[in-house]
Amino acid sequence: MITRKSLPRRTFLKGLGACVSMPLLDAMIPAMTAASETAASAEKLRRLGYVYMPMGCDMSRWAPDPDSQMLGDLPPILKPLESVQDSINILSGMELQKAYPGSHATSNSAFLSAARAKVTESNDYYLGITADQVAAKTLGQNTQLPSLELSMDLLSLAGQCDNGYACVYQNCLSWSSPTTPLPAEAHPALVFENLFGSGGTVAQRQAALKKRASLLDSVSEEMQRLKREIGPADRIRVSDYLDSIREVERRIQVAAMNATENPLPDLDRPTGVPDSYAEHAALMFDLQLLALQGDITRVISFQLARETSNRTYPEIGISDAHHPLTHHGNNPEKIAKMAKINQFHVSLFADFLKKLKATPEGNGNLLDHSLYLYGSGMGNPNLHDHTDLPIIVAGGAAGNIAGGRHIRFDKPTPLANLHLTLLQKAGLDLESFGDSNGTMDSLLNSV
Amino acid sequence: MPSPPEHLPGFNRQSLPVSNCLNISTMLRMMSCIIIPLLCISPIQGDEASLLMKKSSQQFVQEYCIDCHNSDTQEGHLDLETLPAQLASDSQSFRASWETWEHVLKRLETRQMPPPDANLPTESEYVTAIGDLQSTLDRTAEQADQPGAVPTFRRLTRTEYQNAIRDLLHLQIDASALLPKDEASFGFDNITVTQLTPTLLNRYVKSAEIISRLAVSASSTEVVSQTVRIPPDQTQAQHVQGLPLGTRGGLLIDQYFAVPGQYDISVRLMRDRNEEIEGMTGEHELRMLLNRKSLASFKIQRPKNPSQHLTADQHLKARIQIPAGQQKLGITFVAKSNSVIENRRQPLNVQFNHHRHRRQGPAVYSVSIVGPYAADAPTATASRRKIFSDRPMHQEQAVATATRILRRITRIAYRRPVTDEDLKVPLEFFQQAAGTNLVKRFEAGIQAALESILVNPNFLLRIQRQPTDITSGSVYPVDPFELASRLSFFLWSSLPDDELLSLAESKQLLNPAVLESQIQRLMQDDRSAALVTNFARQWLYLNNLKSVSPDARLFPDFDQNLRTAMRKETELFFQDILQNDLSITTLLKSDYTFLNERLARHYEIPHIQGSRFRKVALDPKHQRGGLLRHASLLTVTSYATRTSPVLRGNWVLKNILGTPPPPPPEDVPDLKDNTVDATLSVRERLNEHRANPACASCHNLMDPIGFSLEGYDAVGRFRPFQEGRQIDMSGGLPSGQICNSVADLEDGLLDRPEIFVAAFTEKLMTYALGRGTTFKDRSAVRQIVADASASDFQLSQIVLGIVNSKPFRMRTAE
Repeated sequence: MITRKSLPRRTFLKGLGACVSMPLLDAMIPAMTAASETAASAEKLRRLGYVYMPMGCDMSRWAPDPDSQMLGDLPPILKPLESVQDSINILSGMELQKAYPGSHATSNSAFLSAARAKVTESNDYYLGITADQVAAKTLGQNTQLPSLELSMDLLSLAGQCDNGYACVYQNCLSWSSPTTPLPAEAHPALVFENLFGSGGTVAQRQAALKKRASLLDSVSEEMQRLKREIGPADRIRVSDYLDSIREVERRIQVAAMNATENPLPDLDRPTGVPDSYAEHAALMFDLQLLALQGDITRVISFQLARETSNRTYPEIGISDAHHPLTHHGNNPEKIAKMAKINQFHVSLFADFLKKLKATPEGNGNLLDHSLYLYGSGMGNPNLHDHTDLPIIVAGGAAGNIAGGRHIRFDKPTPLANLHLTLLQKAGLDLESFGDSNGTMDSLLNSV
Repeated sequence: MPSPPEHLPGFNRQSLPVSNCLNISTMLRMMSCIIIPLLCISPIQGDEASLLMKKSSQQFVQEYCIDCHNSDTQEGHLDLETLPAQLASDSQSFRASWETWEHVLKRLETRQMPPPDANLPTESEYVTAIGDLQSTLDRTAEQADQPGAVPTFRRLTRTEYQNAIRDLLHLQIDASALLPKDEASFGFDNITVTQLTPTLLNRYVKSAEIISRLAVSASSTEVVSQTVRIPPDQTQAQHVQGLPLGTRGGLLIDQYFAVPGQYDISVRLMRDRNEEIEGMTGEHELRMLLNRKSLASFKIQRPKNPSQHLTADQHLKARIQIPAGQQKLGITFVAKSNSVIENRRQPLNVQFNHHRHRRQGPAVYSVSIVGPYAADAPTATASRRKIFSDRPMHQEQAVATATRILRRITRIAYRRPVTDEDLKVPLEFFQQAAGTNLVKRFEAGIQAALESILVNPNFLLRIQRQPTDITSGSVYPVDPFELASRLSFFLWSSLPDDELLSLAESKQLLNPAVLESQIQRLMQDDRSAALVTNFARQWLYLNNLKSVSPDARLFPDFDQNLRTAMRKETELFFQDILQNDLSITTLLKSDYTFLNERLARHYEIPHIQGSRFRKVALDPKHQRGGLLRHASLLTVTSYATRTSPVLRGNWVLKNILGTPPPPPPEDVPDLKDNTVDATLSVRERLNEHRANPACASCHNLMDPIGFSLEGYDAVGRFRPFQEGRQIDMSGGLPSGQICNSVADLEDGLLDRPEIFVAAFTEKLMTYALGRGTTFKDRSAVRQIVADASASDFQLSQIVLGIVNSKPFRMRTAE
């Protein structure tokens, strides 16, 4: 049986820029009453989220005291997490062997796949299924969207991808198969539309969904016809297309069911893309919260910026582009600036965690029932190094994980071990993932 | 014969000193391998023999290459010592080394090898060896007969989709608001397009609904709102092109209104960080114009107290009657005198930077269009005229009429003749939506049928249909319909039109004279603007301009107006070459460009007034002209705070010389040991960097090119001096040739124009084919360049060459 929890009667989502504050969640939280009715199910809910921070970080301002197993005073970059300290764990000593030889493309591609990218710029790209998509195949079966892929970059830029690697490696965090990179959406209005449809009354929405279903039927029919026209080698490709069609059909069915169960009244939808990065990112995090809260999806990946991003961050006083700052040549001034960007990214994530925590669900809150992995595919970006990665695990996984700890591995440990552990925590029956050589159960279990 | 290039101090491209290569053992080995390959040559007959390298090029390799590229040292992982022996033995193994030899040829053509400080061949030795190697490689390509294959299925890119809708339905849409962005490979977004993910499919379905509704102007109870915003760093003190003279700032919205009726237009003004409306001095007047006709006018005054700023622009709202179709909605201010207001920091030519450089008058922040209220019955729009060519008078005619309309539309949409089976689905949708009253609900029926066409795989996918009886790996000529599509997607980024399809149907398109005249026609058509807005924007990184934000303290006058003007200059320049069919070498060296006042002021070229762009003849003292002096290119290859000789050099290597540097080596040195002093200049820091042999092998190629461009700052202004010191522009080309200015660099690049033309051709071919070019395509490229040289490399000749090339006309079966 498919369940979906109520959303508040009215939410406020506006991408109108600086003059509009973001009362969205504060205004919404008191309205949350429906959750208690489904309290029992809420506690069994499993959600996984992945947030990617590009181009590593200044580990000297990130790493907690190596000798302490508890998080005491947080280092500068992690400072914004102070108020949710009890719900996070910092992991040190993780590595991505499959990202070598060091490049930006592979930092991104190996992060969730723990797989080596085939060196090619053509259509024969090959990676591996990513952890979020493994999760989506199980956790996403009954939700409207099996997973949600988000990013912050609206433009495709020329000449920013590593030579020899197709841009999909650098820009797509999630891959649903070794040959299927998933496009991420950066436009808040389109994300909103994906989550909540185009609005209208129940009858209108159902009629629209019904029409859409019959349109998809026709695509399917025509695709089958095409299959007969072409050679056997290409039929595999058509089968992939047919799988995609079936998946969209499934989404429509779930949405149609939700339309009757849960009439969504007039939502103020986001109109544009906020000017400032901070507001845009906050809006993207808010959309994640709404998606999780409404149980529209249970798996999310979000790229805070792409690798080699030359974004500047004037809102925190950094007018240098991020990428050249990461090649700091150990210049202390540049490192300090880079660390400020790192801290800024962490602060956006921290704000999100605070909102999750402030959103009651069942006997706890959303953060208790979610697991988020935050980190980068690079350690020290100056070296294009993929060892000693900055990694945070946040959330309680419905009471399965105790927070506030610093978990340090003396021997470099594959990030895939963490992926595997998180997937198991989320209830997946899985023995290995990527280049994993074990799990970290002992470390992540409740103390 | 040009004198041998001078040795360039500091740019020692080799990581090993020359003397290392010439020890005794190497010399002995050299001697032995000179003998072996020559001895190995046994008499081979016919084609096989013709693949062998001529003696002259073999001797060249022995004399000038083997010192470093031998089995022991394998400089740059290249071992030429074993290769010549192989190629002497049989043609099979030569093909195996084909790629390596194409690589060697490229290095010789660009005179990158041997390095300037080595024993250098004379120019005539170069020419002979290159000629010999070329002819051997051309014969190899001919015999191998591998035109390459594009995948069987490729979906339309977002740009192609937008253009296809424009041509199919006469409807201008903004596809970026409907579909996710495409990812690029080899520098273009039309290559990695084989996936159809659920997210994308979902968006296609949604887009089909929206587009069909707009196209037939279906009345909808739904009120739609749309907000257009002006970037905050746009200066609104000057006249905006397209708006009446005597106005300043604001914007012109080119908007499609599907349904005629009343629309609410409301305007919000730009606010500063205290939420106060900017530039509220004196009284101002805002006007709303529809197609240049003033429809409403508003007075704007400074509120009496600060709390009223919140509501001081609420009255800027009007409900106006708008006819259906494409309309130009203007929102602008009546211009006041140009006198400058006194404030503490004067004068600066920007007025948007909040407190520092305040705006002198109010500026538009956003315009929202909400409607239609009181929608009227649909009237004739371009789309409706295009679709409803025919209408049924009574019930019995309806299906036949619908069939005619849908047959015509699907033929263009699917780019091939339409079968009855193709019409089955659209007609089902027609009948389902039209219900029982086929006349009254005719339009609703067509709308539904259109939706089904727009989500049909035959529309969304470009499908390579190969002959049924063909075996995998064999080569076949593409059929006339595929040729028509290849042509239109290459030159228009869109669907073939009726004329092209008819010529494909009659197979006349295969007639070389007909094909050539069609190429001319397509290039002269307005739709060929796609070569500028799609090809040139990607090739020249013009899209990246949107994302650059130079440091506002260092470059305080950089604003959105300049950003758009920069892009426009390069686009108009490329368009000029396209329209007048000039030599593409003009791109690199030209005595004219296109400027408006904003850009001319940036370039310090006087007497250019107004927002309109015009062709301007240049004097050498202006330091402008070719592409390498365009602010657009110079800015996108810079960082926010400074220039980057590395990025600029890399760009030239990739796009002008066609020799992209390899990815950074696996053993990137630990820069901890190499902390570079922050007080050094960029040039000095890079010199330090190149002291490391691992970095030097590539940076010795990139950096000197970038140094020659150091006369332009990070936003492309000419700067003979920096911080009181004269800028050092000494740099050079990978051939070792010294360049002391951008003019030297341009001359050096055009010394052997075929190198640039070949690089350009490869880029254009990548774009045309939708796949990366490989060494197997090099021979075809050489042929195109050689043919085009007769007409001094006219752009049309290169296009013609690509269309006639084997990779474009043939395909390897999958």
